[in-house]
Amino acid sequence: MRHFVNQIVEALKKRSDLAGWTVRHVETRGAQVYAVPQGIESQRAVDGERYLIDVLRNTSTAEGSPAVGSGDASLLPGDDIEHAIDKATLVAGLVVNPVYGLTNPTPLPDILLCDADLQKDASNVMLHVMARMRAAAAKHSDVRLTAAECFGDVHNTHLVNSRGIDAEQEATRIDIEFVLHGQKGERESETFDAMTRRRVADLDIEAAIEERAQNTLDLLDVKAPASWQGPVVLRNDALTIFLAGDNLNGSVIQSLASAESKYAGVSSWEVGKDVFRGEVKGDSLTVWANRCLPFGTASARFDNEGLSAQRVELIHENELAAFAASQRYADYLQIPATGAFGNIELPSGKTPASELLSEPYVEIVQFSWFNPDTITGDFATEIRLGYLVQNGIRKPFKGGQLVGNYMDALANVRWSKETGFFGSYLGPHTVRFNELKIAGQDE
Amino acid sequence: MTDIKLPDAMAELRPALGEIVGLGLQRAPYFSALLSSRHGLTILVDDREERVTERPPAVGTVLSAFDGATNFERAMGGFNREEIQKASRDFLSGLTFQKYLVQAEPERRGDFVTPMQIDPLELSTQEKLDRCRELHRRAKGNDSRIVNVRVIYGERNEHSVFADANADLAQRVQRVNMFLVVIVAGADGDVRYDFASKSGSAGWEVLNWSDEEIQRLVDSALGLLSAERIEPGEYRIITTPGVSGTICHESFGHGVETDMFLKERARAAHFIDKVVGSSLVNIVDDPSQPGSYGSYFFDDEGHMAASTQIVENGVFRRGITDRYSAAALEIPRSANGRQQDYSRKTYARMSNTFFSAGTSTLEEMIAQVEHGIYLDKWSSGMEDPQGWGIQVTCHYGHEIKGGKITERVFAPIGITGYVPDVLQSITSVSNELQMDGGNCGKGHKEVVPVASGGPHLLMTARLG
Repeated sequence: MRHFVNQIVEALKKRSDLAGWTVRHVETRGAQVYAVPQGIESQRAVDGERYLIDVLRNTSTAEGSPAVGSGDASLLPGDDIEHAIDKATLVAGLVVNPVYGLTNPTPLPDILLCDADLQKDASNVMLHVMARMRAAAAKHSDVRLTAAECFGDVHNTHLVNSRGIDAEQEATRIDIEFVLHGQKGERESETFDAMTRRRVADLDIEAAIEERAQNTLDLLDVKAPASWQGPVVLRNDALTIFLAGDNLNGSVIQSLASAESKYAGVSSWEVGKDVFRGEVKGDSLTVWANRCLPFGTASARFDNEGLSAQRVELIHENELAAFAASQRYADYLQIPATGAFGNIELPSGKTPASELLSEPYVEIVQFSWFNPDTITGDFATEIRLGYLVQNGIRKPFKGGQLVGNYMDALANVRWSKETGFFGSYLGPHTVRFNELKIAGQDE
Repeated sequence: MTDIKLPDAMAELRPALGEIVGLGLQRAPYFSALLSSRHGLTILVDDREERVTERPPAVGTVLSAFDGATNFERAMGGFNREEIQKASRDFLSGLTFQKYLVQAEPERRGDFVTPMQIDPLELSTQEKLDRCRELHRRAKGNDSRIVNVRVIYGERNEHSVFADANADLAQRVQRVNMFLVVIVAGADGDVRYDFASKSGSAGWEVLNWSDEEIQRLVDSALGLLSAERIEPGEYRIITTPGVSGTICHESFGHGVETDMFLKERARAAHFIDKVVGSSLVNIVDDPSQPGSYGSYFFDDEGHMAASTQIVENGVFRRGITDRYSAAALEIPRSANGRQQDYSRKTYARMSNTFFSAGTSTLEEMIAQVEHGIYLDKWSSGMEDPQGWGIQVTCHYGHEIKGGKITERVFAPIGITGYVPDVLQSITSVSNELQMDGGNCGKGHKEVVPVASGGPHLLMTARLG
């Protein structure tokens, strides 16, 4: 439907009342498979297509100073182009903001974003992934796969703006989730796991089910923990959730290191200053926002404004090195535009992971929902499955709350030398928080 | 018939649905068509900027063929008649059906529109932006500790048409909400904030703010600058209707979605007609509740909205269903088959879920607490239907001492516990009912608009 994009672009070029514009054509096609214990509950083939127009218009403040306003509109194929542009233009004329500009063309890197098999036949790939999940679960006679979902999508984006950007990208995305159920007499337990990746090759379904099967069995005989103050270990997926957040709640670092938060007054971080409010007792913190990571789930050649992918050092050895900034907030704060945040990356640590597991410690394997306040960093989050490891015994527990403050917690950690790739996070696969508090159920 | 004013393309396609469904029924035991258009608007006004943006629209058609065992669906963007007819033929030709046990629903016909006094679609964007600016002007105080005041308005405009062998239904559901956020900074640079919201399936008439409400919010935001972390432990607590609603939502809301029964994920499945809480506990899900944010007239599977009594005097009675789980479990349907949008599957989902009101006054309840916590405001929750654990995070709470609420404030506060223990500990239920609108995910995805609420509750819970 390049023809329709061209029609929109031609219509926008004729408008003398606009200071700039961006058009995005987003096309999605995919397959979804859902399983219940009895078999396949549902199979869906899904496609969609839309055109998104953003316009910028010169306006003025009540005092007559220059300002800009933005407006947007979306179209389905064949919709009335002039009507949509009029609508966006009208809205842009109402809005009064400090002046900012659009993104200029820059070279776009090639980034690996696609699973070739999924591009060819999403439905078949998803049925195959579902079959692998069922086969992996079937190897464990003491747990059952009671629910599973597999989504595979191909996204094509074509972006054109008035500054001369004309860019395209194709990306694939796979979302899977599964539930394992265990039973011992009248006791029941379950574990849930979800993974998002760009390609099937990055999904180690068999290993994930192996681990969750053991977790499910461990959950059959658990109690709430006693209160604990001391070392807490996060690994792999639990660490990824801690650092990268999830699709409902972004991460604290992403929030506080964003130029938008700085501009709004909700981030007190300053470039060149320490991001911690107290003494740093553990390893220093260095963080990149990385949109170039091959097959990263938040990687992209360009973002919604057309800003090319970058790997931005946000925090260098505890000091804020840069804010992640869209073009708008970059202009407002007069800093470089870096574009959408992307994936989170940390350098490898200094300590072998095995040393981070020196007893005693608590390992949290799954939270109910790790959702710290992304402004204050405070958290009080229930533990879905943890282990108290001491005297050579790994004792599972469920319940209790991990309580603390996000940045205070990161000020006293040790990172593992070994690293891993977890879809939206690349970095040490193990962290040991030297002193965190669990509010448990004391007698 | 109600004048529903469907989007043009949807209105043009509607008369053809009978033929599309008829052709589908020649192959499939059950066949339906859903036309779904969900779009909206967000306006943000704060001290430094303004934004007016479209809510990402989701407009499409879902064809469902069901044989009692598997639900096959073809979902496609837009309402192009020729494309849909072709897609329907292609889709059906590739399917093999197994069972033929689909329960027919009674005849349902009608067009429905959310009652409202000030229809957002009749107001210009200029008028809406000006109203947000006016609220921002009123809320922006002179206190130097206030670093920003943010007004966020959202409207969701939902149109849907549903057709099967016995149904020809259309609805326009209008939802509005408005958040007011006050962000403050202390002398040490610590940033805190408080927020309040108004919402409903309604028009702008529910978005009025009094000066007292605004001042209360400013005061509470400033009060959070001196908030402490609570000493973890078990407390007598009084929950506001918003917190009560979140407890209800996470316990006997998600926990009784019957697709979770089918997946053996819900412990409640073993507790039908058994005691799960104090005899003061009554829990209801009601998509037909007028004005609440989660209301609708029929669900995404064409089932007419009606109230479901989930817990009655402490006894669990029944769950809330989508078509698939009701058929598989051979239980009666309720109108809770909902999709995030046309591109996502239908699941059993809540609508407006709440504890019913009791008979006590709030003053009587506070007077009963020698030492405890008044939990003012919730910020999030997460379900655990199989383990019956509960996680509700409260933005803050106040100390209760000697039967009175004090100025001492704690933030944030997490509530955890075992659901039946928490519900069994309820000893007093106040005589009012308030609903809070919000968005609800199933796990971490499939977000739909819902409301939850209830009265004040006096109970015992573990805080941290």
